[in-house]
Amino acid sequence: MRVTSTRYRTLLLALLCAPVTACDDASVPAPLTQDPDAGLKVYHHSMDESPASLDPVQAANIYANHILENTLDTLYAYKYLARPYELKTNLADGWPEISEDRLTYTIRIKRGVRFQDDACFPQGRGREVTAADFVYSLKRNFDPKNRPQGAWFWQGRIVGLDEWKDAGSDHAKEVPGLLALDRYTIQVRLTRPYPQLLDTFAQGYSGVIPREAVERYGREFGVHPVGSGPFKLVSYDSARAVLDRNPHYRQEPVDLAYEGYDPATQRYSGVERIAGRSPPFVDRVIFDFASDDASRWNSLTKGDEIQYAAVPPEKLDEILASRSPPRLKPEYAERYQLIVGLEAGFVFEVFNFSDPRYGYHPDPVQAGRNKALRCAIMKAFDWPARNESWYGGLARVFPGVIVPVTAEFDPDTPVDTITRDVPGARRLLAENGWNAGNLPEFVYGNSAGVKQRMMFEQLRAWLIDIGYPTEKVINKNYATFGDLSRAWKQNELPLISKGWGLDFPDAENTLQLFYGPNGSPGSNDANYRNPEFDRLYEEASVMLPGPERTAIYRRMNEILLQDCVGMTGLSRTRTYLWHKNVVGLPDREITGGFWIKFVDVLPKGESARPADLGQEI
Amino acid sequence: MNAVIADALADPTPRSLWSAAVRKLARDRAGLIGLAVVLAYLVAALGVWLGLWATEWAEITGSKWAPVSAEHWFGTNIIGQDIFQRGIYSTATAFEVGLVVAVLAAALGGVLGALAGFFVGSWIDELILWAMGVLDAMPFYLLVAAVAFALADNPWSMHVAMIATFWTTTSRLVRGEVIKLRGMEFVEAARAIGVPPTVTIFRHILPNTTHILLVQMTLAFVDAIKAEVILSFLGLGVKGGMSWGLMISESTLEFLGGHFNNLIAASCLMFGLVYAFNMFADALQDALDPKQVSA
Repeated sequence: MRVTSTRYRTLLLALLCAPVTACDDASVPAPLTQDPDAGLKVYHHSMDESPASLDPVQAANIYANHILENTLDTLYAYKYLARPYELKTNLADGWPEISEDRLTYTIRIKRGVRFQDDACFPQGRGREVTAADFVYSLKRNFDPKNRPQGAWFWQGRIVGLDEWKDAGSDHAKEVPGLLALDRYTIQVRLTRPYPQLLDTFAQGYSGVIPREAVERYGREFGVHPVGSGPFKLVSYDSARAVLDRNPHYRQEPVDLAYEGYDPATQRYSGVERIAGRSPPFVDRVIFDFASDDASRWNSLTKGDEIQYAAVPPEKLDEILASRSPPRLKPEYAERYQLIVGLEAGFVFEVFNFSDPRYGYHPDPVQAGRNKALRCAIMKAFDWPARNESWYGGLARVFPGVIVPVTAEFDPDTPVDTITRDVPGARRLLAENGWNAGNLPEFVYGNSAGVKQRMMFEQLRAWLIDIGYPTEKVINKNYATFGDLSRAWKQNELPLISKGWGLDFPDAENTLQLFYGPNGSPGSNDANYRNPEFDRLYEEASVMLPGPERTAIYRRMNEILLQDCVGMTGLSRTRTYLWHKNVVGLPDREITGGFWIKFVDVLPKGESARPADLGQEI
Repeated sequence: MNAVIADALADPTPRSLWSAAVRKLARDRAGLIGLAVVLAYLVAALGVWLGLWATEWAEITGSKWAPVSAEHWFGTNIIGQDIFQRGIYSTATAFEVGLVVAVLAAALGGVLGALAGFFVGSWIDELILWAMGVLDAMPFYLLVAAVAFALADNPWSMHVAMIATFWTTTSRLVRGEVIKLRGMEFVEAARAIGVPPTVTIFRHILPNTTHILLVQMTLAFVDAIKAEVILSFLGLGVKGGMSWGLMISESTLEFLGGHFNNLIAASCLMFGLVYAFNMFADALQDALDPKQVSA
C-alpha cells in the first residue's frame, strides 16, 4: 500500500511538471494571447471612419490618405510644422524647372529610393523607384478600370492625357504631356498654366506605386498597396490598419527650421526631440477605426489603447478650463496634450440650381421669386445655434466659400448672409407672393444616423419659424453617405449639405465647387451656372498667387452670396488630445496623415512636454 | 370551492358571458388602475390629435440642454426642443400605431383563423397554416425590419410589417376555437337549414370568438408599441413625426455630455403605458376566460 501510494505521488508529480516543461520548450508555438506588439515601439492612432480602398487612385478622403501618405511617396509633401501650409520636396530631388510660359515642368526624382520589399518583386526585394513609376501611377488616374476619383485634378490640364483615356487607356502608349525623359527625370507639359500643379503632386492620388504590384494583386491591390514610404502596410480591415516601419526608408534627418518649427507655439509638443534624427521613429503605427465617439473617448482615457483622438463636442466643457484661450483642466493637463485648430475646409448647405422650385427657372419672374425664397431660407438659418449644438460653439462661421485658413480669406466680408433675420425672411417671402399654401415641398436628404436626423429637425424648426408648414419639410433618409451622394449627383434633392476639406491651401479649391463646367456629376453639385463667375474663375485659374488673383477670388465670393447660393459656411474647430508620452503635433487637415512619420513614443510615464513649460498650454 | 363558483352559487340570476366578465373586471383593482392609466394616456393622445397640446413638439423653444423648469417640465434636448412636448406627442404616435396594428392584425387573424378552422383539413386550412408556419419561423424583429426596410419611404411601412407578423397568433387561437364551435349544435342547425358557409362563419361563428380577439388586441397593442419604439430607435420606424424610440435614439447623442432627460422621459412614458396596458390586458384575459366566467 505504501509503495503504491509513492508511485501514485510520483506519477502525479510527473503530470504536473509536464506542462511546465513543455512551456519552457522554445520549439512550442507561443500562446495565442501573447502581445504581438511586445518589444516594439507602437503608436496607436484613432480615426472616425475606415477607408473603403487603399488604391491611391481612390484616395478620396483623409482616411485613405492617412495610410497612403505613410506607405507611398509623393513627389512633394507639406512641411510638418509650417502654418500656413507650405510645400516641400519629398521624392522629387529639388524644385522643378519651369519653362517661361509656365507650361512645361521638368522634375527630377531622388536616386537610390527603393520600394518596400514585397512578393511582387523578384526575390521579394523592392527595386529602385524610377520616373516611369510616377508616369504609370498618374496615368492610372485616367484608366476607368481603376474607378479613379481624382482625375479632375488633371483633367484638361496635361497635354494628351484626356485623349489617352479616350483611346482606351493603353499603358503601352505614351502621353505626350507626361513623359519619363530618363530613369530619374519626369516631364509634364500643360495645356494652360496650372499654379496648383505641385500641390496636386502631394496628394495621395499621385502616390508612386510599382506596376508589378498592380499586376500581381489585381483588384486586391486596394488592400495591399506597395510603395516606398516610411511604413509598410501589414494588415488592414474595417476595424484597424497596421503599418510597420520600412527598414529601407531613406535617411533624411529632420531639420526643424526647414519644417517650419515655431518654438513659441509648438515647443510644448516636444518635437525638438526629433531634430537631426531620421524618421520613422516608431516600429509600428496602428490605426483604429471607430465611428462611435464614446468608444474612441473611452479607449483614449482608459490609458492603454489609443493614444490620440478627437474630443467629442459634448466633452469640451468637461475637459476645458477655458475655451479662449483653450486650456485643459488640471486633471486632464496632467495626462494629455491638447491642440485646438481651425479645419482646412468647411461645411455648407447649398441649393440645387437645377431644381426649378428653388434654382433656375425659364420664367424670369419665377426665377426672381425662387431667389427670394433662397434668400429667405438663408435668413432663417441660425448659424450660432448650429455651432452650439454640433460643434461645441467653437467653430467659425463666415460668409461665403473662401475658408479662413486660406490667404485669400477676407475677414471684412459683410456678415448679413450668415445673420439670422426671421422678420426679414417673412417679409421677403410675403413681398414675393410666397405663403404656406404655395411654398414648395422641402426635401432634406441625409444619411442614416441620429445626428443627421436631429440636424434635419433643427433646420425644419427654423423653416417653421418663417412660415413653412411642418408637413412640407420632409426628411429623406439614405442608407449610406454614398447613396446620399448619388442622390445629389442625380439632382434628386433641392439642398446639398456637405463638408469639403481643402486638397491644397488655395481658395481655388473651394471656388471650383461652383464653376459651371464642374456641374453634376462633377464637384459642382449645386449645378450653379453664372457666366460672370465662370469667366472670373478661368481668368484666375492660370494666375499665380498675388493681390490681383485674391481680388478676383473675393469678387467671385461676392457673386455667390448675392445669388443666395446657400447657407455657407462654417469651419469646424478641431480639438484633439493625445497622451503625453507621444512626441508629435497632430494635424489631420489638407492631405491628412503627413505628420505621422515624425511621431515618436516615449516610455510610459515620461512626458514629451518640456519640463520648464509646466502644464499650461 | 373557488371564488367564482361561490359567486355563481350565491347569485342565482342567469348572466351572459359579457355581463359576468364586466362584473369580474369591475372587481379587479389592478386591472382598473391599469385601465385608468391607459385612459389618461388616451386623453393625452386625443389632445394631441385635436391640436390642444404638444403643438410645438417640432419647434425650438429653448436653449440646448436646458434643465428641468416650469417652462420645460422635462428640460430640452440638444437643439432646444421641449422634451415634455415631444414625449406627449409620442403618446399619440404610440396609440396610433398600437390601435391600427391591434385592430387590423386581430381582424386579419380572426378572419383567416375562422376560415382555417371552419375548413379544417382542406387546402384552405393547409395554405393558412403554411403561411403562419413560415412567418412564425422567422425571427420577429428581423422580419419586421426587413419589411419596414423594403417599404422604406412609405409612412405605413412599419404598420404593414407589424400587421403582417402579428396576425398569426390570433389566427391560431381563433382556428382552435372555431374547430370547437363548428361541431356545436347551432352550427349544425345552420348547416341543416342551408345557411351558406360564409354566412355561418361571419354571422354565427366569428362573433363567438370576440373574447379571444379582444384579449389578443390588447396584447398586440402593447407589442406594437414596443416594436415601434425598437424600430424607430433603429431608424426603421416613425417617419417625420416623433416617437419614444426616436427620443431614446436622440439620447445617444447626449450621454457623453451627461444629459439623460430624453432617455428618462421616453423610457418612463413608455414603461407607464406598457405596464398599465399589461395590467389591464391581464384583467381582461381573466374576466373573459370562459372557463372561469361560465363556471
